[in-house]
Amino acid sequence: MKKSLFYLIMLFTFALNGNVLAQEQQVTGTIISADDNLPLPGVNVRIKGTSRGAITDVDGQFSIQASSDEVLTFSFVGFEDQERVVGNSTVIDITLKLDTSILGEVVVTGYKTQNAREITGSINVVSGDQIKDVPIASFDQALQGRAPGVLIQANSGQPGASANVTIRGKGTINGSNNPLYILDGIQISAADFATFNPNDFESFSILKDAASTSIYGSRGANGVIVITTKRGKSGKTKVNYDFQYGVSQAPSHPEGVMSTEEKLQYELASGNPYGWTDSELTDLRQTNTNWEDVLLRTGYTQSHQISASGGSENTTFFLSGSIFDQTGTVPNTGLKRYTGRANLQTKLSNFTFGLNVSGGFSKLNNTFEGNSFIGSPLNAIRWSNPYESPYQPDGGYTQLVSGQPNSLQELLENQTLQNQFKGVAIGFVQYDAPFLEGLSFRTNWGVDYTQNETSRYLDRNTYSGFISQGQNGSLEKGFAKNFRYTGTTSLSYEKQINSDNVFSVSLFTEVIENDSTVFGYTGYGLVGPFQNEAGITPGNPLNGYIPNVRGNGGQNALISYFADGTYGYKGRYFLSAGVRRDGSSRFGAANKYATFGSVGASWIVSDEAFMQNLEGNFFSEIKLKASYGTVGNQEGIGDFDSRELFARSIYNGVGGIGLIGLPNPVLQWEKINMFNVGLEFALAKGRINGIVEFYNNVTNDLFLNRQLSRTTGFSSQNTNIGSMRNRGYEVSFVGTIIDGPDFKWELNANITYNKNEILSLVGDQDEFIDGDFITRVGEPINSLYLVQFAGVDPANGDALYISSNGESTNEYNPTDRVILGTTDAPIFGGFGTSFSYKGLRLDALFSYVSGNDLYNNDRNNIENPAYLFDNLAKVMIDEWRTPGQVTDIPAADNPFFSGTSRFVESGDFIRLRNVNLSYSLPANLIDKLKIASLRMFLQGQNLLTFTDFRGFDPELSGNLIGSQYPALRTVTIGVNIGF
Amino acid sequence: MKYIVLGFTVTVASMFTACNSVIDIEPEFVLDGSQRFNNLDDYEFSLIGTYAQFRSTAYYGNASGPAGGFSTLPDMMSDNLTETGESLANFRQLVNFDYAADNDAIEGLWIAAYRIIAQANITLRGIDEFAAVNPGQYNRIKGQALAIRAFVHFDLLRYFADDLALNSTTLGVPYKTEFNLDNIARPTVAATWEGIFTDLGEAKTLLADTDKPINSSGNFSLRANIDPITVDAILARAYLYSEQYQLAITAATAVIDLVPLASRANFSAIWRDDNIGSSELIWSIPFNSGEGTPAANVYFASGNRSSFRPSTEVIGEYDQVNDIRYNTYFRINGSRTIVSKYLGKGNLSDGIVNWKVIRVSEMYLIRAEAYTNVPNNTTNALRDLNTLRVARISGYAPVSLMGQALINAIELERRKELFVEGHRFFDIKRTTRSLVRSDCGTNFTTCSLTAGNRAWAWPIPIGEIIANDLINDADQNPGYN
Repeated sequence: MKKSLFYLIMLFTFALNGNVLAQEQQVTGTIISADDNLPLPGVNVRIKGTSRGAITDVDGQFSIQASSDEVLTFSFVGFEDQERVVGNSTVIDITLKLDTSILGEVVVTGYKTQNAREITGSINVVSGDQIKDVPIASFDQALQGRAPGVLIQANSGQPGASANVTIRGKGTINGSNNPLYILDGIQISAADFATFNPNDFESFSILKDAASTSIYGSRGANGVIVITTKRGKSGKTKVNYDFQYGVSQAPSHPEGVMSTEEKLQYELASGNPYGWTDSELTDLRQTNTNWEDVLLRTGYTQSHQISASGGSENTTFFLSGSIFDQTGTVPNTGLKRYTGRANLQTKLSNFTFGLNVSGGFSKLNNTFEGNSFIGSPLNAIRWSNPYESPYQPDGGYTQLVSGQPNSLQELLENQTLQNQFKGVAIGFVQYDAPFLEGLSFRTNWGVDYTQNETSRYLDRNTYSGFISQGQNGSLEKGFAKNFRYTGTTSLSYEKQINSDNVFSVSLFTEVIENDSTVFGYTGYGLVGPFQNEAGITPGNPLNGYIPNVRGNGGQNALISYFADGTYGYKGRYFLSAGVRRDGSSRFGAANKYATFGSVGASWIVSDEAFMQNLEGNFFSEIKLKASYGTVGNQEGIGDFDSRELFARSIYNGVGGIGLIGLPNPVLQWEKINMFNVGLEFALAKGRINGIVEFYNNVTNDLFLNRQLSRTTGFSSQNTNIGSMRNRGYEVSFVGTIIDGPDFKWELNANITYNKNEILSLVGDQDEFIDGDFITRVGEPINSLYLVQFAGVDPANGDALYISSNGESTNEYNPTDRVILGTTDAPIFGGFGTSFSYKGLRLDALFSYVSGNDLYNNDRNNIENPAYLFDNLAKVMIDEWRTPGQVTDIPAADNPFFSGTSRFVESGDFIRLRNVNLSYSLPANLIDKLKIASLRMFLQGQNLLTFTDFRGFDPELSGNLIGSQYPALRTVTIGVNIGF
Repeated sequence: MKYIVLGFTVTVASMFTACNSVIDIEPEFVLDGSQRFNNLDDYEFSLIGTYAQFRSTAYYGNASGPAGGFSTLPDMMSDNLTETGESLANFRQLVNFDYAADNDAIEGLWIAAYRIIAQANITLRGIDEFAAVNPGQYNRIKGQALAIRAFVHFDLLRYFADDLALNSTTLGVPYKTEFNLDNIARPTVAATWEGIFTDLGEAKTLLADTDKPINSSGNFSLRANIDPITVDAILARAYLYSEQYQLAITAATAVIDLVPLASRANFSAIWRDDNIGSSELIWSIPFNSGEGTPAANVYFASGNRSSFRPSTEVIGEYDQVNDIRYNTYFRINGSRTIVSKYLGKGNLSDGIVNWKVIRVSEMYLIRAEAYTNVPNNTTNALRDLNTLRVARISGYAPVSLMGQALINAIELERRKELFVEGHRFFDIKRTTRSLVRSDCGTNFTTCSLTAGNRAWAWPIPIGEIIANDLINDADQNPGYN
């Protein structure tokens, strides 16, 4: 029945076109892929120069009426086109070869799929295969170093932590720099990926310029990462099982802290603040605890995944289930994740229905990080005195003499949990009009639902539990949910006018609405045997256990209308244009709507006759492209920032309202003008492929804190003022050095140089200072602005600074501050290599950043003599003590100022991000085992780091604050079996 | 083809008319001010929000890091407290007087104070339109908002003015009487005083005629709002600072006549926020569960961290046996003496306790000091001093003093009575004496601060100078340029 319907449509199509000629013969055939020798369904079979055509069925077979003088063209995305004269043949079998040219690739460009040839914008694709083995829970970290223009910094090694992702520099100061993440057509929350299974992802398209992102209008400013999940293929059902197991270790800290002997010597030389007696000192010298050994351990990673894909001619499916279990290098931290996915697609006459449903549940145990709180165990690694040990001889926890919490006790007895449920469900219907070929209607609706249940249990015997209200521990519970739906409806028409002219046009409307609510409470008095809700003691004014209850919520929405068109001429000149009008709930009535748009062009130079006739032409492919357009940004500001806002305010048990936001009715979108020009080429018969791009992105109407007179009660207000530019180059190469039948050696490298510069601020203002940072016209954002430290005066131990007139002075004066560098890396990228010999394969990937400077606040805390009650850096042994002593550490009684260049360091590093050695069993062995494939691998993640930065980990997107959780160094073994 | 065009048009049209209302979202968990303040109840809500701002960590609240500018800091920056090794050293620049115009804590306090003023001005914005709707309620709200506005400007003046004299032509603090984003210049100290006394005068008039009583009359621990008694108490303090002694005597007398000193039996209950009947407390800022604490940076009760201990010199001044204050203010904990005034409510030791802004004992001390500055009032001054001592010290035999000895005795009594209540730094400052820390501990690096040092007047925050074109470097306090 289905088949006949199909033919009916074909007939209908022909009838409509009314071009059926006489003297035709029936031509049939089978089309096979050269890749795996399996039939190819869906191949477009067309009679050249006409609009008549057919499509192969599930068995790769086609049937078409054609006359003997006509030519059949066979085309399928990802394969090279073929042509065949019909002649007298009634059976034409074709084997299509994979298109390995760079311009032959098929790229998901957001709302549609395009051939690389016609793309006018800047898009990088990372395939799911490249990251599927990486033993990291959050897929964004696995993309590090793989695409030019994309800077990904992990900031944390905590299992499940998401990275900081910046595409082509930071385009906003107060807004969010997170790219927009689109999963199968719907927006998903950024920087919250621990509950997704990266193995479900087929590809990541990273959209970087206006031609590719302006279709996302007000959300496209920071680039877009379009994720496509795996789909089933018609044919025999394939089942894959993947397993991986490994261990992780933390690096040791390059900036040492004092040993017992050193610390006691220091204390004695500094007036013996604890008043140790000689016998106490003797006792203390018995202990020399390395707190890194106490607080760091070996972590384990284990993952299992099983997936099945297949389908019939009209219905395909992909199913997967996975378990991921990773424990961190800090005790009591880890992530357990369970995911499931079902992707279904079915065709019924002219309708295609699709449903992608995935659900994930993760349990995250974590610890405080990225702060300078004394209760953070990762700070205690640095601060705990070496002459104390975590346990007493009787097995109890030691009460540290400094009064600081015992970090091991904090870590082991307290629990911080997050249970996350994430459900993403997407459904679509597509209707391909039978009455007009090329016309289709599609509506795609999806929901991204995230539910977080957080729980923090503080044991009453720990410091954190003791300082809780009521001094007997606490249990904090939180429940947050975020519901976002994205609905996109489109009408597209694509027409091959004749052999030279092809165009497409699409109209879209889209609605996005986001609702979030959060609710929580903290209960006190966990004095009984229960460590959960059952343990909370009801509060009253006498026992002080009055629970704390809180809640909040927010809502925002976006409505959009947009259109997009492309035009191609002779298969080598392409134009594209798009326009989008967005309405946002966040802005005042006068500024609710804004329009964005772009134009782009590309030219396949190598297809020109003059190039093909060129003598000694070693370019096999050349494409030039350019685009210009505008995109917007509205992320990172509040839902109602344009209004004068009042929030709940309680005094003496009575409810009132307090001002939290100044009115700003003129608040509107940030607008970014993006220009991009690029050259894509292949040299030496495709052995070397490269892309060189230049971009110039100017943000106008920048969200900036306009400084207010503090007499308003506020220091600043978010306003659309100023402009900023990110300008840079990206170069990437892939070279095949050896390309033998058995042995292959490939090298790849990419580098990005991004120069950020503030172009203007409000009015005639040319700078403003925010803490240790300055924002100044002509300089990059996040410029560190501190007084230059010039060592120590040997005569008196005073810290020396450089004054504004360049002289050395012993007086700290904030007016002497200078720009020391920016925390945003201007240079970054990655390089890698892969060798393969028969079934054996070795891949290695390095990533690097260069040119940034970081303030090391960890050193600010352990090189401050005021903290002599806790452990200090080893370098403090060299503190100035006697006149004439030459040292870098000032005398203890010299006023300590943290805002100096003394603690600023270069953030440069190169890291061996991933190395993977694998072996795939040859076909003859596979057949004997009665399986489809078997691959085994040994992998290392973050094994080597080269840096001068004196912190646990230089991979930071901003200053080092404290309690850093270093990146996991993981070695795993794994196996992939296909059935 | 016709149908195609038609179908196309219909589809497109339906796309465009769809749900424009989607983006018309009104906030639910916060309120849009432009849609409120249509009745006096909203003004009342805003007044509550104004009071709540006093708990801000830069003002009376304490938090990790420099905080409590008007609660604990004035004692830390004096000879009353000594920093210990348990301190996290967050106050180092302040207590050693090393601050410059870029000090975050100073800017934090400046903003926090003006935030209260902003909320007070919002409470006053347009309220006159409702004067006739409910005059009693209108008087009650407006009177309190004006008094708060004056009180906070007065507090700012204490830190940021170099010379507090009534007619001083040195620079005071900007007096903000309207909620707006406009820049405003530093007026003279004299003009700042004028603003303070004008607002307090109007507040006093308005609060004399309200629709209902503002505070509890039975338990003065609950006096959280400003009523006519509080206004008189604020006036007495302001008159003393501006050296208008006769007026200070009158205002203090008005309070003393209505509020007795607490009995010795009730004295410790004051610090536990227990019912003390109609005595002693004029104004407290309540701190309740989840609202922070006012004095954790001195003694963090729930963590048993004593960052600042009482200096030995101040402890030595008390009669340890007979003075009720000694056992109430200090406690031996382990091997150290801690400040035990702010342990918690009832028997709790969580540090959650009301901040006592004004007590009637301060009125006795104000009046006594004022009397010593008005000729022929030695007896009156002595009587106030002895009255207070009799109330605090069991079996106290009144003494007879005169001249400098009397002045010194009143000053010492003030220090002992108002220990860690936010007075010491200002008392030394306004009497232009030098600060000498005889118990300097091992952590202070500055053991004395001579009169005339720039540190007695805080610098105008650098952020204010950058943002406000009406306050330039030339308007900075002496010594900070």
